[in-house]
Parts: sequence; C-alpha cells; structure tokens
Amino acid sequence: IDCNSLRYPSLYKPGQQNLLFNKRQFFLCTLQGLGTSFLLFFIPYGAFSVMVKEDGSQFSDQQAFAVTIATSLVIVVSVQIGLDTHYWTAVNHLFIWGSVTVYFAILFAMQSDGIFGIFPSNFQFIGAARNCLSEKSVWLVILLTTVVCMVPGLAVSFLRVDLFPTLTDKQNLRRVRRTSSRRSAYAFSHQQGYGELITSGKNMRMSSVSAAPSAGKSPHSSNWIENMLKRKNEVLISGFGNKSK
Amino acid sequence: MMASTYNAKDEDGHITVAGPGGGTLRSRKPENTAFKQQRLPAWQPILTAGTVLPAFFVIGLIFIPIGIGLYVTSNNIKEFEIDYTGVDMSSPCFNCSQNFSWNSTRPCTCSIPFYLDQPYESNVFMYYGLSNFYQNHRRYVKSRDDSQLNGDSEALTKPSKECEPYAFHDNKPIAPCGAIANSMFNDSLELFYNDPNGTKVQIHLMKTGIAWWTDKHVKFRNPGGNNPNLTVAFQGTTKPVNWRKPVYELDSDQENDGFINEDFIVWMRTAALPTFRKLYRIIQKKKDMVLTLPRGNYTLEVVYNYPVRSFEGRKRMILSTISWMGGKNPFLGIAYITVGSVCFFLGVVLLIIHHKYGNRNNSADISN
Repeated sequence: IDCNSLRYPSLYKPGQQNLLFNKRQFFLCTLQGLGTSFLLFFIPYGAFSVMVKEDGSQFSDQQAFAVTIATSLVIVVSVQIGLDTHYWTAVNHLFIWGSVTVYFAILFAMQSDGIFGIFPSNFQFIGAARNCLSEKSVWLVILLTTVVCMVPGLAVSFLRVDLFPTLTDKQNLRRVRRTSSRRSAYAFSHQQGYGELITSGKNMRMSSVSAAPSAGKSPHSSNWIENMLKRKNEVLISGFGNKSK
Repeated sequence: MMASTYNAKDEDGHITVAGPGGGTLRSRKPENTAFKQQRLPAWQPILTAGTVLPAFFVIGLIFIPIGIGLYVTSNNIKEFEIDYTGVDMSSPCFNCSQNFSWNSTRPCTCSIPFYLDQPYESNVFMYYGLSNFYQNHRRYVKSRDDSQLNGDSEALTKPSKECEPYAFHDNKPIAPCGAIANSMFNDSLELFYNDPNGTKVQIHLMKTGIAWWTDKHVKFRNPGGNNPNLTVAFQGTTKPVNWRKPVYELDSDQENDGFINEDFIVWMRTAALPTFRKLYRIIQKKKDMVLTLPRGNYTLEVVYNYPVRSFEGRKRMILSTISWMGGKNPFLGIAYITVGSVCFFLGVVLLIIHHKYGNRNNSADISN
C-alpha cells in the first residue's frame, strides 16, 4: 500500500511545483466563498419575506433569520469539507460530525433560558433557536441552500476528474474497488526514503501542501497539471526517486 | 516542521541524538501504532460517474415533488390584503393620514369596506403589515433594555445607555425604554361582517396567543414579582414619549398587561426586512363546521393612530389562513422546483459528457 508512492514518484510533482496552492487557486477559493455567501443570504431572504410559523405567529424576524442563515452556513461548510476529504479516518469523522453537533449544542445553550437569566442583555436571542428550528419550512430552506451551494462545486469537480484526471485521480480510480485502505492522511510523503532529501533543502521551495492534513486537493489542480505535463515532457522527480534509494 | 537536530540515520531508521553530556539519550522515535504513524483505516470516497450522476438524478427527483407540494400548498392558502394608509384622496382614511399630531386626544377613525370572495375556514389570522419601516436598523435594534423587560427592578429605574435618548423623560426613567418600544404600533383594527339582511356583526378577535411562548413566559416579565397591582410596580417611571397610555394600562386583563402584553411583545420582536407583517389578532374557528369568515361584505374599522406618511411607509391589514408550512410563500415551492429541474438537467448533461468524452483518459500510463 505504501509502496504505491515509490512506484509512482511522479505523484509528488504537484506538491513540489506548488500547483495545489498558489494565487490562482486562492482566487478561485475566494470566488467560491463569495458565491456561497451570496446564496446563503439571498435564499433565506427570499423565503423569509413572508414567513409565518405553523401556528400563525410571526416569523420573519431578525433572530429567526439569523439562526437560519447561521445554521445553513455551518451545514454548507461541513458538507463542503466532507466532500473535499479524501480519506475518511475516524479522526475525520469525529471532527466533521463533531463540529456540526457542537454547533447545535452551543446554539441551544446560548439561547436557553438559563443563560438568559444570568445575562439578559447579552443573550438576547433567547428562544430563537427553539422556535426557529422546530419549523419544517426552516429545514426546507436550509436543505435548499445546502444543495444549491454544493451542486456547482460538485459538478465542476466531477467534470475535472472525468475529463482531465490528474495522476492522483487515475491512481485512485484504479483502486476504486477497494473501499477501505490503510491510507495515511499525508499525501504520499511518509516512507523514509525522501526524508533527508527534503530536509537538507536540496529540493526547491517545499510547498506546504504535501504536509497538509486530510484534504488532498487534487481535483482542483487538474488543469494546471495537465498543462505542465503537456509542456514539459520530462519527469524530474522520477529520476530523484531512482537515485536516492 | 522538520527539526534541524538530525545527526544520523541508521539503517533501520532509528534516530539517535547526542545529549549535552556527550552520551546518547533514548530514542525519540514515536511509537509504531496506527494512530501515531498515520495508518488509520480510512474510507475513501471517490468521485466517479457511478456515484455523482445518480446523486444528481436523485436530488432532482426528490426536489421536484417537494417543490410541487410546497407550491400547491401555498396556492391553497387564502390571503387577503388591504392597504389602509390613505394615500389616495378617495380613500376613507385620507383625512386621518393628513391631520396627525401626537397630542390629539380624540382619535381619528376611518372605516373601509371590502369584499371577501372566498370563504375562509379554520383559524384565520389577522396581521398588520408595514412597508418601508426599517426595524432592522442597527441603532434601532440595539435601543432596548432586556433586563428591564425581564422585570429587573434595578434596570427599571436605571435603564441602560443603549436606550438613549429614550431612557429618561422629565427626569423620570421611561418604562419600557428605547426606540423600539417608543415606536410601537398602536392602531386599533376591528372587523365587522355585513350580514345579507343588513346587520353589522362584530367578529370576535382573540388577542392572546399571538406571541412566542418563550417570549411571553421567559423573556418578558413584569417588575415587582407577582404583585398584581402593576401601577404600584411601575411607580417612579413614566410612559414612553409617543405612547398615549402608560404600559400598565395596555389591557385590563392581568395576564396581558404591562410588559407581558402580547401586542407589545410582538412589536418588540424586530422584523428582519423593511416590509414585514406582524400577527395582530386570531379569529378562531367556530364549532360545528361553520365557516369562520363566509363570503360577503366586510368592514374594517380603523382607529388611526400610527403615522407612516412621513417616511413614505404604508400600512396594511392582512387576513390569512395557515398550513403546515406557514403562510402563503410561493418562493420555496418555485425555488425547489427550479433547483430540482436544474439538477436533473445537469445530471443529464453530465451523463452525456461522460459518455462521449469521459473514458478516454483513464487508461493513460502514470508510472515513471
């Protein structure tokens, strides 16, 4: 399993060429954030302009609006992270599900009767979460917002993997039958072979990506990689890999 | 990240570090467990065509029926709206909207006839709606004292600074303080049904049960503990500047007087958008399958107290029925149908693209 990284040393290329985190990727991430924020506000805005609760009492108030948007935000972000996570270890499960759970715990704690009794002026949102999240229409709004924020990203990722698969993607597709793998979260950089090479600084700027936890962001970089591969038809690192052992 | 105190690496990767005294310390090699060596068992989801495309179709197939259901439910909700600001000269409330002053003792009344062409069954909810009224203005929203509204006796006589300039008047503290309380909606609306034989029947309007339970029982409490005499409890305070009556005379019913008056509570829950509606009264359904509001002529009698012309605002009265998803809200239904269809269409497009262009690149060699 770990020997895959030795067999295909060209998989190291994206990290060393800083292809996975550069200004363009950052800009695209910012753009995605902007689009998501826009949707996160305007979809509840459209739904809330005339909302009332099931028992008729008014609902289109600021606090319910705020709770809806905040909950949508946390769920959208968690789903986004979940989709970007390539290796779901127990730690990943704990943190992703745990984040959502802790959010709800804190939300209800901050809007409970108890803490309102102690600090009335600071915790004005009392009752908002209880009244808001017990409405079916609010959950429908949250579901709609989540799906609308996720679908474009998902479509783009799928197209990238399908039409311009990176080396990592092809590697993954070959092993698509195997659903569980004893895979480290580091992207192929753990066997002792390359340790001194990297620390001695012989390599150029070591990007932070190959040490980045959890998310292997290969789908985002496929265009870059394809361009680089087409332009340079040499394999630098493969030579490295052969020499240092 | 990588320490620079590497000295040597043995064949088996055992790291030794030279200690200060010259001898070697014990190895700092981390344990060879699955957790520390990052070899945990992992599930690896991969975006293949077999997973993503069905997901799109499933989303589309789920959302479209939900959207249709929501839209149909929303269309079945009956709603009637009538603007009674009195902007037109021909409107009955035009005179009231023109001559207005805060000090007028004799309230101005106007009455507007309307016709309901659909009968309303079950509970009917009566709302007042305001337009161009920014209850979400930041300074306005902060202008309240929740401790005072919770019945804290100290805050009653010393309202917080957030309420300024509506905290003190004539050297007395204002209860309830703040701009939100000061601008409370104080029109009175009455509904009359014009019988076919000519008599005017007043429709009974319920004024309790309109606020959130948590608001009425937890957030808003009258000062003075359980003292039933609210005049005594509010001693030493004065009414807000724009109110006609002090807060302990809002209702003769003890349970609805003072800070726990439900109209007051409903008003204090600030709205999110500049055009909003707040629940005013509930018309309860009658027994024995009698229609709550039969079809016919009605009259709305307004005691016009609330001035909105100065900021180009509008006032409306809305009668509406309710369903499981709340009031009439076509947005959700249409949004769900749109998103469902877009997802489905996108799924089809991706399927076509995948079929035509997808599998070419998969067999490329990725080894050295």
